[in-house]
Amino acid sequence: MKLPMLSRLWKVLRNAVAVVCGLAIVIALLPSKARSQLGLDPCCAMMQVGLNTISGLLRNSVAMPLGSIQQSQQQSANFEQQVVFPMAAINQARNMAVQFEGQFVQMRQLFQLPISSATLPTPQLLEQSLLSGNPGAMPQITSNYSNLYGTVMPAANAPQPVRNMVDMTDAEAQAAMKKAVEIDALANLELQAAEQINQQLQTAAPGTSTILEAETAAWLVRANAYTQSAMAELVRVRSIELANSSGQLKFSASHAATLQSTGNQILQQGVQ
Amino acid sequence: MKTKPLEVLRSLEHRLSRSRRWLFVAAITLCLIPSNTRADGIGDILSLFHTITSTLQGPIGDVLSEMRKVSTAVNNFRQQVIWPLALINQTRAFVSATRARYTGLMSQIEGIKNNSATLALPVQLESAFRSAQTGSMGQLPSIYTQVYQPVVLSGSAQPMQRNLMDIDDAMSMDSLKIAMVSDQTTQSMLTLADSLEQQAMTAAPGSASMVTAQARVADLETQAQLAKMLAAQLREEAAKLAHENALLKQRSVATQNLQNQIQQVLAHP
Repeated sequence: MKLPMLSRLWKVLRNAVAVVCGLAIVIALLPSKARSQLGLDPCCAMMQVGLNTISGLLRNSVAMPLGSIQQSQQQSANFEQQVVFPMAAINQARNMAVQFEGQFVQMRQLFQLPISSATLPTPQLLEQSLLSGNPGAMPQITSNYSNLYGTVMPAANAPQPVRNMVDMTDAEAQAAMKKAVEIDALANLELQAAEQINQQLQTAAPGTSTILEAETAAWLVRANAYTQSAMAELVRVRSIELANSSGQLKFSASHAATLQSTGNQILQQGVQ
Repeated sequence: MKTKPLEVLRSLEHRLSRSRRWLFVAAITLCLIPSNTRADGIGDILSLFHTITSTLQGPIGDVLSEMRKVSTAVNNFRQQVIWPLALINQTRAFVSATRARYTGLMSQIEGIKNNSATLALPVQLESAFRSAQTGSMGQLPSIYTQVYQPVVLSGSAQPMQRNLMDIDDAMSMDSLKIAMVSDQTTQSMLTLADSLEQQAMTAAPGSASMVTAQARVADLETQAQLAKMLAAQLREEAAKLAHENALLKQRSVATQNLQNQIQQVLAHP
């Protein structure tokens, strides 16, 4: 009777000891203190220090450089607006383009004044086609030229070398006249283009004016090329003129030799 | 009396066996709960702060600092190298000084009169075609005719010769008139050049390109006018060449006629 009782008592005690030990372990492992959100907890203090550090860093490492950059950019913007691209200077340049337009129109009108001066019908026709500035009038130049200066004489009237020289001279004279008409027409187009570019300049910005400058530069290159071609034509006219002088000297020498030979023959016949 | 302690013990045993189950559950729970939760939470926060501060100091702070340096350098480069204000003002002063130095001299040279005729009619003609006033262009033909005479009457010369006289006079007068127009437009162009120079004196680096474009346009106008003058010269030279050629044709015909007449005379002594 005693033994089972003792055995049961031992079991009870053993379990009780186990429960106590288990509780002790649980208590030892559980957090010793409760945390409050509003209290002066050391964790909150650490967070406060951390946030203060971040705030200080934002102020010193981020805000200050950003402020400096903003100041630099503001200074740069002011410099560009007041020194490099002042609005007053830009408007002044635009106004100058407006003033120039009137001058350009006036100059173009001056070159359109009638200057024809011939009084006789045939010269009037040639002069009219020469001053027309109309490349479509080229065929009329040929006929009007022939009517005024005549055509190459017939073969019976002159030796072939003389006829060749006359034809060459007529050709160059007509070509020069035609070139003059072309150059006039091209110059009129250049004047129109200049006026149009000038109109664009009246509303141009500093950034776009360089494009217009490039466009004008291209036109200038073209204009120089046309002027060069006109100069070439002028050189050809002068060359033909010089060649004619040389040719006439040669003909004169040849005629003189023929005359001398013929005279000698006549004189010899007279002596015999 | 003896059974009562036994019942108490049995009851206690039963309760303890229930407690044992609870003990088992509590042990399992303890095993599942992370043992260092509290320590890990604080460590994470500190780690986060450390990451944020190091990010602010390192990648962001360094980059912003570099950006500030670059921005300052660009600004300084613009203000001290590309567009230094002192040099801008110096350049404007240079333009002004150049203008002051040469404008007077050039005006004096431009003002020199080249008129050289001495007799009354040539003096009139010369002053007319050197006037640079297209308004007086209408007077030119009459004065020209007085100096060089009108085309001879039809009975006094062959039609071709009269035509040659007329076209030569016309080309000559046309060119004189074009020269008058050119002189007048040259004056206008010089005025424009002066305006451009004045504009350059007050221009800003940003507006200078607009002034340059304007100058280019004026240059194109000048080129066009130069082309017109060249066309006039071409006409004149061509007319001169054609005139000489026409005379050659006439001489050729005349020589042929003379030869024919001599042969006729020799054939009938």
